[in-house]
Amino acid sequence: MALEKSFTCTLPNGIHARPASALEEVVRDAVSEVIVLNERTQRAANVKSVLSLVAADIRHFDPCLITVNGPDERKVMAALADFIDNQFPLCDQPLAPEVTGRGDVHLPPCLAHAQVVTYPGTTVVSGIAQGRIVRVGGFRVPLGLAESAVSDPTDEWRKLVTALERLHAIYEERVRQASGIEAALLKVHRAIAWDVEFRNQLEDAVTRRHRSAAGAIADAEARFSRELAESGSALLRDRALDIQDVCRELLQQRYGDDVGAQTITLTDDSIVIAESLTPGQFLALPRAFLKGLVLAHGGATSHTVILARSFNVPTLVGVQNLATLHAEEAILDGDLGALVTQLSPAAHRFYKMEHARLAQRRERLQNLSTKSGGVPLEIAANISSAEEAGPAFAAGAGGVGLFRTEMLFFDRPAPPAEDEQFEIYRRALLAASGKTVVIRTLDVGGDKPLFYLNLPIEPNPFLGYRAIRIYPEFESIFVTQIRALLRASAFGRLKIMVPMLATVEEAEWVKTIIDRELAHCGIPQRPPIGAMIEVPAAAFSMDYLCPALDFFSIGSNDLLQYVMAADRGGQRLASLYDPLQPAFLRLLKHIIDSARRHQREISLCGEMGGQLRLLPLLAGSGLNINSVAIPAIPALKAELACLPLADCRQLWESAAACATRKQVGDALDQFADRHAAPLLDPDLIIPNTDPATKEEAIKLAADKLFVMGRTENPRAVEDAIWERECGHSTGFGNGFAIPHCKTNAIRSHSLVALKFSKPVPWDSIDGQPVRVMFLLAVRESDSAINHLKTLAKLARLLMDETFRSRIEAEDGAQSLSCFLHQALLE
Amino acid sequence: MKLIAVTACPTGIAHTYMAAEQLQKTAQKLGHSIKVETQGAMGIENELSADDVASAEAVILASDVCIERAERFDRLRRISVPVGAVLKNPEAVFAQLK
Repeated sequence: MALEKSFTCTLPNGIHARPASALEEVVRDAVSEVIVLNERTQRAANVKSVLSLVAADIRHFDPCLITVNGPDERKVMAALADFIDNQFPLCDQPLAPEVTGRGDVHLPPCLAHAQVVTYPGTTVVSGIAQGRIVRVGGFRVPLGLAESAVSDPTDEWRKLVTALERLHAIYEERVRQASGIEAALLKVHRAIAWDVEFRNQLEDAVTRRHRSAAGAIADAEARFSRELAESGSALLRDRALDIQDVCRELLQQRYGDDVGAQTITLTDDSIVIAESLTPGQFLALPRAFLKGLVLAHGGATSHTVILARSFNVPTLVGVQNLATLHAEEAILDGDLGALVTQLSPAAHRFYKMEHARLAQRRERLQNLSTKSGGVPLEIAANISSAEEAGPAFAAGAGGVGLFRTEMLFFDRPAPPAEDEQFEIYRRALLAASGKTVVIRTLDVGGDKPLFYLNLPIEPNPFLGYRAIRIYPEFESIFVTQIRALLRASAFGRLKIMVPMLATVEEAEWVKTIIDRELAHCGIPQRPPIGAMIEVPAAAFSMDYLCPALDFFSIGSNDLLQYVMAADRGGQRLASLYDPLQPAFLRLLKHIIDSARRHQREISLCGEMGGQLRLLPLLAGSGLNINSVAIPAIPALKAELACLPLADCRQLWESAAACATRKQVGDALDQFADRHAAPLLDPDLIIPNTDPATKEEAIKLAADKLFVMGRTENPRAVEDAIWERECGHSTGFGNGFAIPHCKTNAIRSHSLVALKFSKPVPWDSIDGQPVRVMFLLAVRESDSAINHLKTLAKLARLLMDETFRSRIEAEDGAQSLSCFLHQALLE
Repeated sequence: MKLIAVTACPTGIAHTYMAAEQLQKTAQKLGHSIKVETQGAMGIENELSADDVASAEAVILASDVCIERAERFDRLRRISVPVGAVLKNPEAVFAQLK
């Protein structure tokens, strides 16, 4: 007598791979048959098969019926019912939005006339790459093998089972050796290879339909790929690639290397294009020559894209019409979101300029960031995997200020073992080569559920049972992590940090556990132990926490929302959830001053630390370390080198004494105006350059502003210039032009001067080519009037022939700058 | 002649002032007196007073945008040109006064 249970899928993203594996785990050892029917689609799935569950395409609000039939049906149904009612709603987390190709490309003016052909897509890993197009094929089973006759189906199946078992052993071994993203991915592969339904399909094809092993594999691949492709979710479509990978390797195990092996050789810098690329195929590509990746399919969440991101290979997805591409030289332009082909001389010049722009900027930031200014604030990196440690230090991080370990615990049926964690922490510490790495212990629960912990659903997760609060109940998980950390501490400068600390008792408990484990592991020296300060209670207990702990890090995101009682996601709360709120600044000041009084190291890790505008405040606050996302590091370090400590301190004191958020904002603006880069700067003068066109001339000037840190978005400056230029030409005759714009893409009013070694064709009002160009970029929101007066004076002087001939006569950047300085400012 | 003028352009950074300068230079060359108000990014500068308007024989409006307080010139003979016209051929603009 079968048992039935109806339920409605409450997961917003439906039953994708993760909830499916959770369900599968509940019934894995059941003797009974367990079937779930999606009543919307009438697709039935074997609950013991993740693949089959996923392919049933169960979406949000779909009505489902579970049937259990067999000797242990009561026990199985009880477990299932408990799971579905209590834990099922938790086995999900928000997914990245689906990635689709865009229809149009907004070409910069220089490229618009370069007659290139572009293939628009969506940039999932940014960067600009150049190389020859190499096409990589998808999954194919040789037809002869698939259709070959089978004389002894029993023997054929036995051989295929052997191949499956070999493959499983191979995956086991690879999982053991891999770590991080690669390990997570290999586990998905292992699960597919061991999937009940996958095996049933193969067995049925060989033993009943007398297909060859190759034919059976091709059929299974086609069936599951089709079902996943038909599902409404990009996440599931991406999983089809994983199935292809497993099928290809199974084929290889059964027939030998000649059939399944990947032999993609790249002999030169290459941009690999493919309809889709399996993670296995990606890993098989020679990385030295792999400059870029272009895929027709594959979303931001596909494993191939995740791998590409961790190896920093610029990648576009959702690119259409790839079949029309040839093996030609091409450029993958991540800024543009397109593959650019049929490179004309103009396009080559454009990308030469792009390379120069990026290289000059890198060089300038590097030079600046090695200079130490007067501010003793270190810029460190926030990371979530050991793989990011290398790039963080390459970007100039002085240390890792926050290594979030949650990622290691997600996407798996059980927490990672001690050895696995040890290996990851060790690698991060080795990559740091002597610099400090602060590793934060598990911060889950609340808004970051882990289904294997079976935590209750709470109405207010941010005020709930999470982070350090769950450690006593899940002591073994915490202890495993601590043991792995203590063992890894021998390999570098490790500091251990706990999240969400609120009380002194919690600090004492953590120390007791760590001391006990130190003795257990036989490690003589305890690494420094610290805590996140993100709960106001902890902020007001600094005098009592300082004696107990070695260092502190302000978690500004959570602290701000707790202090202001304002959710950071609430759009209508944006004025409350603002780090410029003076009450929040006063609390920061209290925390920092207390820590310093007790000679404890104090750092900040949160989004406010990455904002250039707020840097003067933090620089003056007495903070020791500001830990930020990796991409923000170079610009922050360069900016920091130019900040005067005394002024920053004054700013900080006065900001913390403000009554309103507006007053704080005004104080920051005044500080920015006082310390704005000067309008005139010899570095903004290019005395001898030879652009071929007006478009190139304007790009050169905009790029200069980017190199000098006056804009983060030179293409926006160019666009603003061209918007004005379309009205009518700013080539005002006599070989002079004065393109200009007002935009907030620029950080401070700037004057760029270019003198051309040969006249540039221009649509001037007198029809003459141009020899001298002044580009005026005015910051739209800056009301400081002095610079505008200077620009007005320049505009008037340019009407004067004597002035113009002096400009033409000066031939060095320095002398031209001196002359302009005298003429405009004295 | 006794003339007044207003210059204005979309961004108010460059052409407003270039045109003002050009009008002054050309007026001097042609033997006219002129006072030029600029309406640029810094707001109204060298503002024309009621007396300036009352005593002028004509007004030149060189602008690519709407001029503020244009009603001041309602009773006056006026020449309206785009800013570019003043930069390209200023004497042709003054020729319209004849």
